[in-house]
Amino acid sequence: MADVKEDKVVDASGLSCPMPVVKAAKEMRGLAPGQILKIVATDHGSLADIPAWAEDTGNELLHTQTDGGQYVFLVRKGTS
Amino acid sequence: MNLTVGALRERLARGEPTFLLDVRASKEFATWKVEGPRPIDTMNVPYTRILAEADEDNIAAAAAAYLGKNYAEKIPRDPLVVAVCAHGGTSAYVAEGLRTLGYDAVNLEGGMVAWGNYYEALTVADEPVLAIVQVARPSRGCLSWIAVSDGEAVVIDPLRHVDRYLELLEAREARAVAVIDTHAHADHISGGRALANKTGAPYYLHPYDAIHPMDMLPAPFDFEFLHERRHLSFGSSALDVLHVPGHTLGAVALLLDERFLFAGDTLFVDAVARPDLGGRAEAWTPLHHASLRRLLGLGDEVLLCPGHFSAASEADVRGVYATRVGLLPARNEGARHALGDAASFAAYIMASLPDFPPQYVDIKRVNTGLIEVAENRACELELGKNVCALAASHPGP
Repeated sequence: MADVKEDKVVDASGLSCPMPVVKAAKEMRGLAPGQILKIVATDHGSLADIPAWAEDTGNELLHTQTDGGQYVFLVRKGTS
Repeated sequence: MNLTVGALRERLARGEPTFLLDVRASKEFATWKVEGPRPIDTMNVPYTRILAEADEDNIAAAAAAYLGKNYAEKIPRDPLVVAVCAHGGTSAYVAEGLRTLGYDAVNLEGGMVAWGNYYEALTVADEPVLAIVQVARPSRGCLSWIAVSDGEAVVIDPLRHVDRYLELLEAREARAVAVIDTHAHADHISGGRALANKTGAPYYLHPYDAIHPMDMLPAPFDFEFLHERRHLSFGSSALDVLHVPGHTLGAVALLLDERFLFAGDTLFVDAVARPDLGGRAEAWTPLHHASLRRLLGLGDEVLLCPGHFSAASEADVRGVYATRVGLLPARNEGARHALGDAASFAAYIMASLPDFPPQYVDIKRVNTGLIEVAENRACELELGKNVCALAASHPGP
């Protein structure tokens, strides 16, 4: 995934549910279809919730990376 | 405006109108949900939809706007609406939003984590000398038992939140003299060794079950050997140890004063255990057959106190998951097959095996002391209902 460059970063580190999803959804509203949002979170629940949110909202989860207690997601904005 | 899991269970037991709005992701909702003594009216609306238009500072209002627009007709007005999520954080906003819409709504405190860690204790027998307490973890269908005789207690198959047992022992002013695992559990993390350490009582296990059946590695801890014909006295009572291999190779059942049968995972109220979790179903099924026949022959009046239940319908009116051995052939399909010949029993077993949950291999590694896990991982490993029983052929709630 080294070749994928995000257009915007949301850092939700230290925030618990629902904040990572709320912040990600808010930033996503400002992006154009095809642009990529990088989400960084430390809440364990993000691991299930960010992919579910991406699927629910017609966006595409490109990559999930778990690094110690940190979760990094790359989501491409859908066209719908 | 929070409701604890205990208060929710009491409401449900009293039959008070209650509606659960579960806001977790659909996949998680499909895996497990809050259950009561009767089926509960439950709806799943993922919070990722409810809060799709939210900002950090208007979460409850965004929830109200979404639910008011899309679910006004679907969420009933009369019952208490209980919002549920993973930890009870998001559902608090949802409950707040529902209240602004005029609903009587509360948040389930601690969410599914609290539900998963919720225990219920019920006194099964309370005699001048002897008391039997059922300690259930309803989210997982796990049962454990405390027997107290003249102030001395044995704890059988304790689950991992061992403080519950310490509280119950203290309430009865009982001193633990033995902590017993009837077998090496595959579906949940045992509290056996931890409780033995905290009480100073010895930890008992059959030596065959101190070896991981797939890794073939022995447990690196001390324990007292349980074996056939071992007789354990406590207070004015005694346990006779019966080696009943089948579910595991070192499974034991404990017969208390020839009246109460703590059968672990061999025989349940409405099912029999599966013999395949050690990876040797064909070799272990004949052993299981012989063990079940032995238990079914112990006497009609003996009270079976099993290690699991699959459905709330297995309980009696008090919520006790125990039944007389003599009643089993009438209600338990697996018991009926066990009373038949070995070949037809084997055919029944092979046709009824549920999927093998992959996490069971690691859970058994934890229970044999081969690996250690942190709380997060322990919760993950234990997610959902146990599948130690053969699939019941009747529909559960």
